[in-house]
Amino acid sequence: MEPLIELQNITKKFTEPVEFRALDNISLTINKGEFVCITGPSGSGKSTLLYILSTLDSIYEGEYSCAGTRMNGLTQNQLADFRNENIGFVFQFHYLLPEFTVLENVMIPAIRRNVETKDNIRKNALEILDLLGVADQAEKSANKLSGGQQQRVAIARALINKPKIIMGDEPTGNLDSVNSKNVLQILKNLRTTIGQTVIIVTHDEHFALASDRQIKIKDGKIEQS
Amino acid sequence: MIMGKTGLTWKIASTHLWSKKRQTFLSVLGVTFGIAVYVFQSGLITGLQSFFIEKTINSTANVHIYSDVLSKKPSIVERKFANASTMVFLSQHSSRTDDPKLKNGFQILKSIETHPEVSGASPYFSSQVIFKKSNIQVAGYLAGVDIDKEDKLFDITSTLTVGQVSGLKSVSNGVILGNTIAENLGAELNDRITVISPLGVVLEMKVIGISKSGLTKIDATRGFCDIRNAQKLMRKDGNYITDINIKLKNIDRAEQLALDFQDQYGYKAEDWKVANASTLSIFKVQNMVTYMVIVSILVVSGFGIFNILMMMIYEKMSDIAILKSIGLRSRDILSIFLAEAMVIGLIGGVVGLIAGYFLSRLVGSIPIKIEGIVSVDHLMISYSPSIYISAFVFALVSTAAAGYFPARKASKIDPVIIIRSK
Repeated sequence: MEPLIELQNITKKFTEPVEFRALDNISLTINKGEFVCITGPSGSGKSTLLYILSTLDSIYEGEYSCAGTRMNGLTQNQLADFRNENIGFVFQFHYLLPEFTVLENVMIPAIRRNVETKDNIRKNALEILDLLGVADQAEKSANKLSGGQQQRVAIARALINKPKIIMGDEPTGNLDSVNSKNVLQILKNLRTTIGQTVIIVTHDEHFALASDRQIKIKDGKIEQS
Repeated sequence: MIMGKTGLTWKIASTHLWSKKRQTFLSVLGVTFGIAVYVFQSGLITGLQSFFIEKTINSTANVHIYSDVLSKKPSIVERKFANASTMVFLSQHSSRTDDPKLKNGFQILKSIETHPEVSGASPYFSSQVIFKKSNIQVAGYLAGVDIDKEDKLFDITSTLTVGQVSGLKSVSNGVILGNTIAENLGAELNDRITVISPLGVVLEMKVIGISKSGLTKIDATRGFCDIRNAQKLMRKDGNYITDINIKLKNIDRAEQLALDFQDQYGYKAEDWKVANASTLSIFKVQNMVTYMVIVSILVVSGFGIFNILMMMIYEKMSDIAILKSIGLRSRDILSIFLAEAMVIGLIGGVVGLIAGYFLSRLVGSIPIKIEGIVSVDHLMISYSPSIYISAFVFALVSTAAAGYFPARKASKIDPVIIIRSK
């Protein structure tokens, strides 16, 4: 097993409204190809942990390295580049750009990365949309799609740069049970077909049970991992 | 379709603007209005000022030599006790050299005419007079000149509505009247009028020309006659002149040459900038007022842009958060919103230039009779490219400034806070 993510003694403090430790001295290793669920009650610090893992939050104490790169020393711009290349994001609210077409939404991270030609990016985007069963929606405006379809597009967008990790913040939180199952199945398939590492924060019991590994967080500490 | 990273910036920016057509339109309209007013106002002021400069400043000499009788020299008593601790009281003291005559005036003139930097010089002696025809009297002055030289300096020929300048030489006692004097007297070409000097000398003169300079005050008071007639009216001899007007080959050398002449001939020599200082300072104030009006209009339209971008940012918080989470840098976000401001500035600027041009054309073609300091029959509007270039630059700079702060705010948005608050 090859470790992909290593956290050492991560502490995150909030000072507003009163000082408290959202994360208290957390150490954690996640291996390549794992399907990990982070669970815990509201306010336990599970989302905070995900934001740190995703590099969106860079203010914390402790050591974080991901894919062999030490995150602590990187500038905001380097972190942005790192995210663009290595991390795919799926949120509870699908967060597609509403005025753009489905295809454009999926292509944006790859255009930002600026490595492949436009034609290649388009070809890849269509392939991924096809994989997720929404290729027929490609030319539609993103806000014309149903919630379940939008979340698939969001996953497609997360996959376009072939990131090392897919991260999800309650990706099924806003979906009905049928669509939730679909999304879960898609993420599991990714793991088995392309060996994708997946880290998901969720309340969803089914989701948690279907994963390889559950990390339970309570009061900023790891209860079980 | 999107192309490249810059293409992405533009695509997102234009999509934002397009999704808010009404606000975008109003912002563009604000800039358009500001720039149109800028172009029109500047054109109007510049046009009027260059017309005025052409008329007044070009009708004053580049360098003017005269005897400065008004400056008081300290009396011999005051000079004697200048440093002593003695109080000096003088009453009824007159220290002026009352005679403004330029001694050796014609020799000075000859010497100046041969100066390599001088293109022409003209002697001058004027007399206050009453112009009289039958029972009508008009007060004014007669400028006694050597008309060939004067015409070479100030192009009197072009101001004549009737008659010819050469008449002053060929007709004895010929006179050219300002057109308002002529109207008031009811005098026409070849009419005979009477001219009375303060010394009581009366001359019968023949109107050989009527001039219209466009400057109301001059046209209502000035007549031209040969310098000998002016001398006759004031009972002076043929060598008596009070002023020498000089035109230079290079007008920018006026200041230096005035100093040189002053040293060389011992008379006051004034350059055109000093002579027209009051006019030039009025222009400065006028320009300041104009530009304040323009700037305030652009500030208002700037606030419009500021507003629409702020609204856009609040509405697009989630978009900004997602763009950052997929790896757009702060600078990319800044470019997006700055691009939006620049698009508004660019379109508003171009349309404003066009609108300003046609507004100028329209107003310039309306016949308006103005009888003020100058008399014109339509507004003089300048279409100088420098106005249009500066207006356009101003449009871009002001919109960039108005867009910068919202754009920076957008670039500083913390995606975690946005995502967490949902």
